[in-house]
Amino acid sequence: MADQQQVPEAERSRRPVAPPPRKGVVTDFAVREHRSLWGDAWRRMISSNMARLGMAIVLFFILSTVLAHFFWEYNPKTDSDYSLKLKPPHLKPTAEIPTIHPFGTDKVGRDIFRRVVHGGWNSLRVGVVAVGISLTIGGLLGLLAGFYETMPLGSAGRGIIAGGIGLCLGAILAWIAGQVWQMLLFAGLGIAAAVLDRLWAGKAVRPLLFGGVGLLLGGLPALMVNPYVAAVCGLLGLLTGAVVALPLGGALVSNLIMRLMDIILAFPGILLAIAIVAMLGPGLDKGMIAIGFVGIPVYARLVRSTVLSVVEKEYITAARAVGVGQARLLFRHIVPNSLSPVIVQATMGLANAILWAGALGFLGLGAIPPEPEWGAMLGDSYKYLASGAWWAVLFPGVAIMLSVLGFNLLGDGLRDALDPRLRI
Amino acid sequence: MTRYTIRRLISLIPTLLGVTVVVFFFLRLIPGDPAVAMLGEHAAQDNVERIREQLGLNRPVFLDIEALKQGDIRRFFDSQYLRFLGRLLTGNLGDSIHRRIPIANELKLRFPATVELALFSMIIAVLVGIPAGILSAARRNSVWDGLSMLGSLIGVSMPIFWLGLMEIMLFAVFLKWLPIGGRLEATRELQTATHFYLIDSLIRGDTAAFVDALKHLAMPAAALATIPMAIIARMTRSSMLEVLQEDYIRTAHAKGLRERVVLLRHALKNAFLPVITIIGLQTGNLLAGAVITETIFAWPGIGKWVYDAILARDYPVVQGGTLLIAVIFVIVNLLVDLSYAFLDPRIHYE
Repeated sequence: MADQQQVPEAERSRRPVAPPPRKGVVTDFAVREHRSLWGDAWRRMISSNMARLGMAIVLFFILSTVLAHFFWEYNPKTDSDYSLKLKPPHLKPTAEIPTIHPFGTDKVGRDIFRRVVHGGWNSLRVGVVAVGISLTIGGLLGLLAGFYETMPLGSAGRGIIAGGIGLCLGAILAWIAGQVWQMLLFAGLGIAAAVLDRLWAGKAVRPLLFGGVGLLLGGLPALMVNPYVAAVCGLLGLLTGAVVALPLGGALVSNLIMRLMDIILAFPGILLAIAIVAMLGPGLDKGMIAIGFVGIPVYARLVRSTVLSVVEKEYITAARAVGVGQARLLFRHIVPNSLSPVIVQATMGLANAILWAGALGFLGLGAIPPEPEWGAMLGDSYKYLASGAWWAVLFPGVAIMLSVLGFNLLGDGLRDALDPRLRI
Repeated sequence: MTRYTIRRLISLIPTLLGVTVVVFFFLRLIPGDPAVAMLGEHAAQDNVERIREQLGLNRPVFLDIEALKQGDIRRFFDSQYLRFLGRLLTGNLGDSIHRRIPIANELKLRFPATVELALFSMIIAVLVGIPAGILSAARRNSVWDGLSMLGSLIGVSMPIFWLGLMEIMLFAVFLKWLPIGGRLEATRELQTATHFYLIDSLIRGDTAAFVDALKHLAMPAAALATIPMAIIARMTRSSMLEVLQEDYIRTAHAKGLRERVVLLRHALKNAFLPVITIIGLQTGNLLAGAVITETIFAWPGIGKWVYDAILARDYPVVQGGTLLIAVIFVIVNLLVDLSYAFLDPRIHYE
């Protein structure tokens, strides 16, 4: 039911600027009514050579790594044979080297082909999990920011915001005074300010009133400790009271979220990721968390701007006019219509996350040593480059590049297919 | 315009304060004691204590609540974070824990190295990327278009640490054309005034040193330029294609103007704004995060320095370096925003 509602809406917005039909694609308007939006996008995508190439590469990597992981046993801990150290690639068994090594062997005589194939499992897993983390957290934050920036808040929403602010600021105060229950007092003050939003609204008396209550709530209990603490806590209480007395709306939530994202974005991503891994300790799972965290602002910004542009559309106004509730508006109308840029970004984000995982592994911060991972394999072997062992560096790097290229091609194809306006 | 600039500058303050808080918070969460890292695992306990006291590591991180409860207001504000902020306001970034030298001095040496590498890479990226983008837009769907777009996709997909290694293998190990790393031959002496070696050697009229510096710069700059080059080429192409559909381009063709004039004067000028944005943002990125390139080519810049400092728990260096990088990054972003008003008279900031 919902699908039938949205498809024509999205179609309508796209039609006026639809690109000229490409070679081989017959745009038959008579049968257009029976197609779904996704079906159309799929048809557009498989008509592009680049996208097909990307899909083929991605499928190749997924299949090879998944099959290898489940059906080709490999134990990195016991895999070493010093007699086969740093042998160049060879495809025929000889007396000296009885086994074949299409990609050569590394510094402890491990077959590089085998490790590249198995390393894919780790690299792709990092990509998927990291993008999952950034997408879930960043997407939710962006959705909240974009939605509440334009929507008026109900009294419950205002209560939650004001109460939350009271709780957070009160927590600082309670920490200083050493009395945890003060936090709750300030949360209560925030909720009271939200409920009594008509009380002297817009007048100077209002912040003074709530600030005064905050001063008492903060200062009086702290007097039990000593007057200095009471002075500091009273001041903080005054401030908290005055802040919750302000007309807090959705724009404030949006602003807070986006400023937080700005702070994360002000750090160079790779240094932030290194710092997080240094904090959590090395390991593939820690690397995933680090890469995922660094990606959060990207998705938050993207989703927010998409939501802001969707909210402007007539069908949202129409839905609000007929009295659709906020939750339904958000999940039935805004989310489905904001999906396509997110899908494209997530595909390209996978490519990026694989690159980042390689970089962290290369610096020795990703997979723990015997575990095969492309970046770590490069980091292991590049010291042997000067002695001519090019194969140990070439093949893991080619694997990273090809898989990243595959996801990028796929992302490009998806963008062209899902959003024909952008196809230039 | 001026008011807008001032407002933007003021709004940077909370962001930068947030950056310092995050740096402090993260660093203190990294396990390991800098005093132990400095003295070694087997140092005597009282030595470690003495060093901790010297470095101020025994003070609370944000605020000293115990002192407040005892009624000592001055010690209440005497925390690691507020000490750092206070020093920062007087322009003092502190000393490196490990090397015992002022961070500001080290920055004077390392920052020019990073800037030299970043700007040189950006020049390469612009000189290759923009013509490639124009060419593929002008000859859309031609072989050139396909090649340069595939090339730029490969560029975006390139792990630059691997590209750097391949360059070293080819040009330094097999062909022996270029040096493997560093900024200058160890035996060469160059009196530096600006610490930009290319400029310094020119000022001294030392051609041999100039060529040497250029040789050292070639490989890291080529590696670092790959991604911006690819991004600039793609952005130029799509922006040009959009402009080429405009009516005034058809008019220009109809007037009988030469193709070159239409492309460069009518189309490129109008297609340039998004390209400038991308160039600005990418320059910010290059200045901030050439960690991996600097590590591979032993380039003594900021990225490698901060990376080493994170692993060595050298708190002051990480704080100073990260803060500098963050400041540069947000200022570059601001300049990009402001440049719109100069480049496109239609844009006004209130």
